[in-house]
Amino acid sequence: MTAVDPVEVFRQEASELFEALEIALLDLIDRPDDHDLVDSAFRALHTIKGSGAMFGFVQVAAFTHEFETAFDLVRKGEVKPTGDLISVALTAKDYIRGLIEAPETMDSIIGDAILDDLRRLVDPARAAKPLAAAPAVEQPSASGAGWQLHLEFESHILRNGSNPLDYLDDLRSLGSCFVVAVVDDVPTLDELEPEYCYLKWDVTLSSACSRAAVEDVFMFVRDEMQLRIDPITADRVETPPKAAAVAPEPAREARPDLQLDLLPKSETATKESGDTSTSEKKRDDGRRPDDRQIATVRIPAQRLDELMDRVGELVIAQARLSQLAAAGDDLSIKMIAEEIERLAASLRDTTMGARMVPIGSLFSRFRRLVHDLSRDLGKPVEFVTSGEDTELDKTMIECLADPLVHLIRNAIDHGIEDTARRTAAGKTEQGRIELTATHSGAQVLVTVSDNGGGLDTARIRAKAEDQGLIAPGAVMSDQDIHQFLFHPGFSTAQTVSALSGRGVGMDVVKRTIENMRGSIDLATVPGQGASVTLRLPLTLAIIEGLLIRVDEGHYIIPLSAVEECVELTAADERSRGRNFLNVRGDLVPFLRLRDLFGTPGSPERHQKTIIISTGDTRVGLVADQIIGNHQTVIKSLSKLHSDVTMFSGATILGDGSAALILDIAQLVALAQSQSEKQQNRAA
Amino acid sequence: MANILTVDDSPSIRQMIKLALAPAGHTVHEAGDGAQGLEKAKSTKMDLVITDLNMPVMSGMDLIKALRALPTQVGLPIVFLTTESDDGIKQQAKSAGATAWITKPFKSEQLIAVVNKLVRS
Repeated sequence: MTAVDPVEVFRQEASELFEALEIALLDLIDRPDDHDLVDSAFRALHTIKGSGAMFGFVQVAAFTHEFETAFDLVRKGEVKPTGDLISVALTAKDYIRGLIEAPETMDSIIGDAILDDLRRLVDPARAAKPLAAAPAVEQPSASGAGWQLHLEFESHILRNGSNPLDYLDDLRSLGSCFVVAVVDDVPTLDELEPEYCYLKWDVTLSSACSRAAVEDVFMFVRDEMQLRIDPITADRVETPPKAAAVAPEPAREARPDLQLDLLPKSETATKESGDTSTSEKKRDDGRRPDDRQIATVRIPAQRLDELMDRVGELVIAQARLSQLAAAGDDLSIKMIAEEIERLAASLRDTTMGARMVPIGSLFSRFRRLVHDLSRDLGKPVEFVTSGEDTELDKTMIECLADPLVHLIRNAIDHGIEDTARRTAAGKTEQGRIELTATHSGAQVLVTVSDNGGGLDTARIRAKAEDQGLIAPGAVMSDQDIHQFLFHPGFSTAQTVSALSGRGVGMDVVKRTIENMRGSIDLATVPGQGASVTLRLPLTLAIIEGLLIRVDEGHYIIPLSAVEECVELTAADERSRGRNFLNVRGDLVPFLRLRDLFGTPGSPERHQKTIIISTGDTRVGLVADQIIGNHQTVIKSLSKLHSDVTMFSGATILGDGSAALILDIAQLVALAQSQSEKQQNRAA
Repeated sequence: MANILTVDDSPSIRQMIKLALAPAGHTVHEAGDGAQGLEKAKSTKMDLVITDLNMPVMSGMDLIKALRALPTQVGLPIVFLTTESDDGIKQQAKSAGATAWITKPFKSEQLIAVVNKLVRS
């Protein structure tokens, strides 16, 4: 195992603690009397403070200490966790997070202001007074010839793991010692408890050290012993103390004696404990094998990505092997190839499973967002989530954060009406935002819905006409009109608020989702609310594809986008220049991939059309041959090809050659704009 | 050299203790809360336990009491970590049966000194 830098471990841990803290604080709004929540918030703070100090985050420790002190009053039940207090606590949490993640950008004035707020809320009387205790006063050091000590330990001291001999050794590190064991209290053997300490010691310590230094030696056992420390006068150094009944010996020689006295005890103790520990262990093993621990291993996400890459390459190599084996006659090779195919498939599934993360971690972030927005906008909003267990590829969960922030902001800012309008419409004052995730076949649906006013179709239309996107009075379905929301620079917000309505957002959301090979559905019921559903594939790394051929080149169409495959009839062929296909009465525009890719030569005789769709739009793609299904391991294109629009990636086929993956969203958009141009020309 | 158990809900602290003690040849066992720590101490003979006090499931205080209640753990040195400068907590932990404490923040050298003191004999 390679050692991971503890500071890095701390950062990671802290970010989890912040999440736990935030969840606890937000839950406290609903359940202010829940002690478990207060405890868990307090524990998170405590760990941040302790570990922060350990790893050199001095400011973090100091600030968190004050925070903790204030919050302690909540824990003791002296202060109620009011909404105001929670809000300040959340701000304080953000400040600490800032101190850890980007300390150079944090201003301590802000920190002080936050602490002042906190103190004012928990204890108005003591506000502005620092809550920390004054540091302990240093004991004045004594100077002299040394110290005469009398040590009497409580009898249970050995049981608790302390060994008086260790303290004598520590005294020797301060200066030379005369040690005398006082054996008066040692009972006869039949009365002797082997686990008890009966010895006392008189020590003459010749050292110029301070009294505090001597006391420090006994720091841990100060409460379990009687310690007398007297300064030695000059003449007492000459002659060893009278109290020593046994002939005084130099420290080093005294030690073997002491050990002899103690050895039987400690040996018995060890032996006994050794015996019972074995029997205890056996009993334990039989009763309860360690089964309730769920072992988790933390690994950097990058390693998972690398693993996925390797698995991808393995799948490709395996495909080549299978192809080769299928072509030959060797039965044993065929069997091995099948075995490897099975193993590679299960390895692929396991690896993909390891990348899956419950979406709940993402959802919990938005509770804060809703809380803050609801307060800032003065619209009371209830936030409900469901389907937190739904698992998605980790990379996708990260990519989803920003789009969901936009959608939730929009829902609160534009969707939920203000209290007056809601009351007038006979609705509850409190609006409701729902965030749900569900599985639907090979897709995950993430839905943001609100019970606000719904999309204002008339206003969107007016705005679109304003911006010249549609001709005034053109006949359009409501759904088509709603699609303008995704147009760059399109916003219907009448006033631009700080939160949304700046015309950036929905187009970015759409692009992000499409980059993940997902799609967006909008649904609205006027007066009752709107919902936005993101349809996402389960994983980004491997897709089911349809392998097609255009001239010599092979291409992959994501199977999820394919609706059907039809032959390009002679009648369709003749419709040259119009490029529309008649599919059971519907006119579907089609693109000739040969033309699109600039393939030289003439098309083959029996051209095939693959009908693909995104949302409600269908487009035909004309290819030379449809080869079949293909497990596609997606390789991204290099940076050099970042401006290639028609392809979203590439894959390697069984024979080692490359195939490009078609970007469905781009092709559909291209086909639409072409058909519009043709219609305009025809008009 | 010695089997040392570190019980802390904070992985970074456990990691730090491990990094400080492993080079001295100690085997450092880890547990994330008191209950896990108790199980570990029962199944492996430990020479020293270093525990945090404030932990979920089973607190350090309860762990110390539980360990002290076991006849097998007589004389086991138990060190607790505390951020409190307040003596009340130390008093409580001591009367529960703790051997020594280390105040956070601490340096590796301080930790090593305490460990050497308690496991050398």
